Amino acid sequence: MNVGSGDQMTDFSQAISAADALASTRYAEGPFAAAIRDTRVAMIVTDVSLDDNPIIFANNAFLRLTGYTRDEVIGRNCRFLQGVDTDPIEQARLRAAIGAGQDIACELLNYRKDGSTFWNALYLSPVRDGAGTITHFFGSQLDISDKKRIEVQLNERQSDLEQLVALRTQELTKALAQKTALLHEVDHRVKNNLQLISSLLLLQNRRVTDLAVKGALRGMLERVGAIATVHRRLFQSDDVERFDVSAFVRDLVSDMMGGSGREDIRVRLDLERVDVAAAKAAPLALVISELFSNALRHAFPPGHGGEIFLGISRDDSEFRIEIADNGVGLAKPATSSGFGLTIVQLLCQQLKARNETSSADPGVRVVIHLPVNGAH
Amino acid sequence: MSVQPLEILIVEDEVLLATELEYLLRELGCHTVGTAMNADEAVAMAEALNPDLALVDVHLEDGPTGVDAARRIKADCGGVVLFMTANVKRLPEDFAGACGVIGKPYSEHGVKTAIAFVDACLRKGSAPGLPPVGLQLSPAYAARWGLGDLARAG
Repeated sequence: MNVGSGDQMTDFSQAISAADALASTRYAEGPFAAAIRDTRVAMIVTDVSLDDNPIIFANNAFLRLTGYTRDEVIGRNCRFLQGVDTDPIEQARLRAAIGAGQDIACELLNYRKDGSTFWNALYLSPVRDGAGTITHFFGSQLDISDKKRIEVQLNERQSDLEQLVALRTQELTKALAQKTALLHEVDHRVKNNLQLISSLLLLQNRRVTDLAVKGALRGMLERVGAIATVHRRLFQSDDVERFDVSAFVRDLVSDMMGGSGREDIRVRLDLERVDVAAAKAAPLALVISELFSNALRHAFPPGHGGEIFLGISRDDSEFRIEIADNGVGLAKPATSSGFGLTIVQLLCQQLKARNETSSADPGVRVVIHLPVNGAH
Repeated sequence: MSVQPLEILIVEDEVLLATELEYLLRELGCHTVGTAMNADEAVAMAEALNPDLALVDVHLEDGPTGVDAARRIKADCGGVVLFMTANVKRLPEDFAGACGVIGKPYSEHGVKTAIAFVDACLRKGSAPGLPPVGLQLSPAYAARWGLGDLARAG
């Protein structure tokens, strides 16, 4: 029988003899022999004592799996199943295990008689005699071609998915950049338009001579200025949802004192860092502006200076804003009167804040309590 | 202010803002040499009129060209530029060679104190103190006017 290079007639006949010997032992009969012969799992036995460790037994499943007949298999080393595309690293691992007399489980690409390939999950283990010497190897083979195909599909699917995710992330990043640019654009326009409103009021104020009208325009300018100050600071921090009230107060006080021309009035500040939601910024700013302006304009007649105190603190569930002066005090009981104080009342309702006006003896103290809603 | 009024070029495309600014500057004792509405006009007027200071908005008639105009003014005629813009954060790190920025919307008081401060820096060559609220100096000019790391107050 010609079966390729390296095979000699002598080895084959030895193997055939060994195979016959095995078949004629009592191990070739009985239920266990039948089990091995007929099981669906491919199995072989090799004989280590013969040259090149050839197959001396192959069950029917092995023949069905590989497409060879028994005659074509007995006497050959099972490497005949390997071919060009078999992984050389796995082959080397198999050889090393056999050489070391160790069990090994490996996955090899094998070739059938008709040249078609299959993935073989091979399990090989040495068989030892009483003295512990290896006499044979026992191997079982499983066709795992399906499993391998699914593995490849999964890997492809994985990389497809990863590509899709990368693309989507790119799209989202671009959309976010666009939204941020738009936000900046809107913010910029709002600021410019507030500037425009201020400029209009200032221009009008220059032309008007009637003092009452000038006073009214000044009041409007201050209110617009308070809102403008809010917007100058809004969106300046990383968190666009929160507004730093103490920073706003410093800006406001600086602007209002600078424009007042009253060197004889001092301002004392005691401000805790307090953040409120952006939606509350403008209403709160107007309230503080109104109360401070009130003190500035009405507490100190010309020639009678004094001090205005502005304090912001937080206790648990509330912010406390106090504006107090040591000026002339309340002319009449503390009822809301005047346009400015009406605004304060309305805005406090909107902010769900309580306000209390009392005599500071001398002077007036107004305290606002603003509920905290998950604020800083 | 002092003997010779500061000569100022306004670069702003919103006419009402420019007009109000002009009044403000007059009250401060400064003199407005002209008003430009786009980058090319700004550079041409700066070269022709040689102002002590140019107040430049970033967004002009021809788009966000204020930064570019500032660079050219500084390069061509060595003019000192002060930005006035709502977009403080979008300015480059070197402020395009300008000495600083006033954030919009600004208050009357804010502009007056800022310009008085810059005026003092230009005349003396050093800052009389910290910059007022609303004015942010560029790192280069803060250093030049002796303020080191303290480029901004509040």
